[in-house]
Formats: sequence, structure tokens, C-alpha cells
Amino acid sequence: MTQFKTKHGYEGLLIVIEGTDGSGKSTQLELLKRYIQAQSYGVIISEWKTSRLIANVIDDAKDRNLLNATTYSLLYAADFADRLENTIIPALKSGFIVLLDRYYYTALARDVVRGQDIEWVKNLYDYAPEPDLIFYLDMPVDVLLKRIIGTTGLNYYESGRDVGFSSDFYKSFEIYQNKCLEQYEKMKSEYNFISIDGTKSIEEIHSIMNFEVQKILNSGVLY
Amino acid sequence: MSKLTEKHNYKGTLVCVEGIDGSGKSTQLALLRDWLKSIGQDVIFTEWNSSELISQTTKLAKKKNMLSPRTFSLLHAVDFADRLKQVIDPALKAGFIVLADRYAYTAFARDVARGVDPQWVRNVYNFAIKPDLAIYFDINPKDSMERICSNRTPKFYEAGMDLKLSNDPYESYMIFQGRVIDEYKKMVDEFGLIKLDAMDSIHSKQVRIREMLKEVLNNKGVNI
Repeated sequence: MTQFKTKHGYEGLLIVIEGTDGSGKSTQLELLKRYIQAQSYGVIISEWKTSRLIANVIDDAKDRNLLNATTYSLLYAADFADRLENTIIPALKSGFIVLLDRYYYTALARDVVRGQDIEWVKNLYDYAPEPDLIFYLDMPVDVLLKRIIGTTGLNYYESGRDVGFSSDFYKSFEIYQNKCLEQYEKMKSEYNFISIDGTKSIEEIHSIMNFEVQKILNSGVLY
Repeated sequence: MSKLTEKHNYKGTLVCVEGIDGSGKSTQLALLRDWLKSIGQDVIFTEWNSSELISQTTKLAKKKNMLSPRTFSLLHAVDFADRLKQVIDPALKAGFIVLADRYAYTAFARDVARGVDPQWVRNVYNFAIKPDLAIYFDINPKDSMERICSNRTPKFYEAGMDLKLSNDPYESYMIFQGRVIDEYKKMVDEFGLIKLDAMDSIHSKQVRIREMLKEVLNNKGVNI
């Protein structure tokens, strides 16, 4: 088997799961983590918007509806930079497998839907290492809607209410998520997403991911 | 395309002052503001890192030395974007004279001195409105340090201690602020900053600034 080469040049592996809210990312990430752990590899998970520097500022600002499209983009970019420098890159350098719940593709989708110029957003993240694998959980909007309403309920920003698509929560959510999906659709080929039908069962999705990850592990890249 | 290089079409007028700490820019801006108010002009003032959204967070993170060059840059960009949309843009639309103590050029000077890519940070700020008048107060690091550090040691980030240039804060300050000044000097041509000698008297600088502002306003058909 040919030696797998990482795209970022660090010792470890960078694996991303992308998808809109309610697409099942966290569940799959946990399963993947256990699967990798069982084979004695070092693995960590890092989630979107969890930096010690700024995550709570974002939550607070969102609660108080203080954000405009530009500050929204920049705050997330700051959160990302902090996690990248303090968590992700050190782990990659030490040879960990880093599993990421969302990566800058999330910012590209959400910020562009909020009216930002795509090149401006790309510039914000242009220093980020390229992942070795990007899984994308593809979910139709009607299924997403049911999942979210059935679990967390609709929130203001997830429904894109700040963008002003509609004052009706349900309608706004539908429009916003559809627009995000359009952006993800465009990124699929540009960034080589491994797109997985998110309506498949948890086990089926898990085994597709395992298969892809195992291929890389079998190449001996982490030995 | 950057808005920073295109003339704006707002009714109002944007004036900013730039320069390292101790260059006297805040004094000059305060004098200008009081005068403009006294002659009945609509004027507002906004300063660097003062937004409701993020300035406290940034100050706290600085105290704890938590910032990398990249996060330092992005947090200040958040602050700037917040003030631009909340304060500067509406005031310019309403025809105010907006006085800004530091502007995007501060980020270009400081962040690049910290090793951030010049083009990257310029792209980050490409939504900034081009000022009608941007004044740079030129001072050397030694004079600046004598002015601001007469009764305190330089602060961690102000001295660029995060770059580990020297263990001595005074020495580090000299090196780091020297780099910041180099960046400012490059921007005199790049962005048409008007350079004033910080060591000139308060009076002579204020006279120059008022002359320049009058000319800017004249060109907009406003006579003061």
C-alpha cells in the first residue's frame, strides 16, 4: 500500500465532520473516537466555538443580539484561531488524531449566507491546515427541521433570524438552512468532501467513516 | 477590492489620528473636538478598543497574556467592526465629523510588527471606510518611552513582550515600537497618511490640523 501523506505536514491526522445543525455530527464523532481509541491511537475531539478565549463572549453576544454579519464572522474566526493555536496544532505536532466537529467550512457557509464576500471569509482562514479527511453529513432540510424542533428547538441565529429572511421562525429556519446547504453543496467538490447520506442509520454512517479512516491508519502513517 | 482605498460618499467627515503611544495624538484630537463643538459642529469621538461587544474581553485576555499575534489581530478587528457599524457608519450618514483615535492603520502597524502577514490583515479590514483625513504623529521609540514610561514600566503587549525580543521590558519596547514605526512610515505613501512631527509644539500641530480639516470641509462645501 502506498504511504499516505498528510496534507498539513504534521505528525498527526486531521479529520473533520461537517454538516448543518442536527445532522448527527456529535454522535458520529463520539463513535469514531471510540473506534480509534480501541486501536491504541491518541485521539482528541475539538468542537466549534469552544475556545477558552472567546466562546462565552459569542454566546453572550448572541443572547443579546449584539452581532452584525462582520462581527459574527470575526468572532468565530478569533475562536477558531485560538483553538487552532492552542489545541489543534499542538496535538497534530505530537502525533494525535484530531477529530473536529465543524471546521472553517462552517464559517464559509454561514458567513456567505449572511452576505459576506466569500474571498474575504476565505482570507480569514487561509492559514488553517488542510484536513486529511472531511466527512460531510448530507441531510435534507425537512428531516433537519424535524430533528431540531424535536430536540433543541429553533434558536435565533440557527434560524438565521438575524439575517432577516422572514419574521416567521419556521420559514426563516427553512430559508436559512437551505441557503447553508447550497453553500455546502458548492464546497463538496472544491474541498473533496466525503459526502454521506445523513438519513442512513447511525451504524451505517459509522461504518462508512470507519472504512475511510481505517484505510489511512493501515497505511502506517502514524507508526 | 478594499473600501480603504476608495473615497466614501457619506455626508459626514472622517478624521483619524495615528502613531505610537506618547506621540500626542489623543491630546490633539481632544483639542480638535473641543474646538469643533465650540463652533457648533456635530462631532463624535471614538477610540481604539472601546466597543461594548469585546473591549473588556480583549483587555482581560491581554492581562492574562492569552493572545497570539493572530488572536490579538482578530479581537481588535472585532472591536473595530463593531464600532464601525454601530458608531462610525451611522454618524457619517448623519453628517457628523467623526474623530477616531487610532484606525485600521494601527492594526496594520502593530499586527505586522508582530509577524502577521501584511496582506492578510489588510484583507481583514477591507470593509473599513477611507478617512477624509488621516494624520500620523511621528516620534522615535526613545521619546515615546520617556513620555509614557516616566512613572510605570511598559505593559506586556505594548512592549511586544509576547515576541520574546528581550527579557527587559524597556529594551523590548524600543525594539517592538521601532518596528511599529517602520510599518507606519510605509503607510504614509501606501494610504496617504499625513505625517506630523510629534516633537513640534502642541500649538503648531493644532494649527496645522485645523487648517487641513478646514480644507477637507471646504471641498465638501462646508465652511467653518
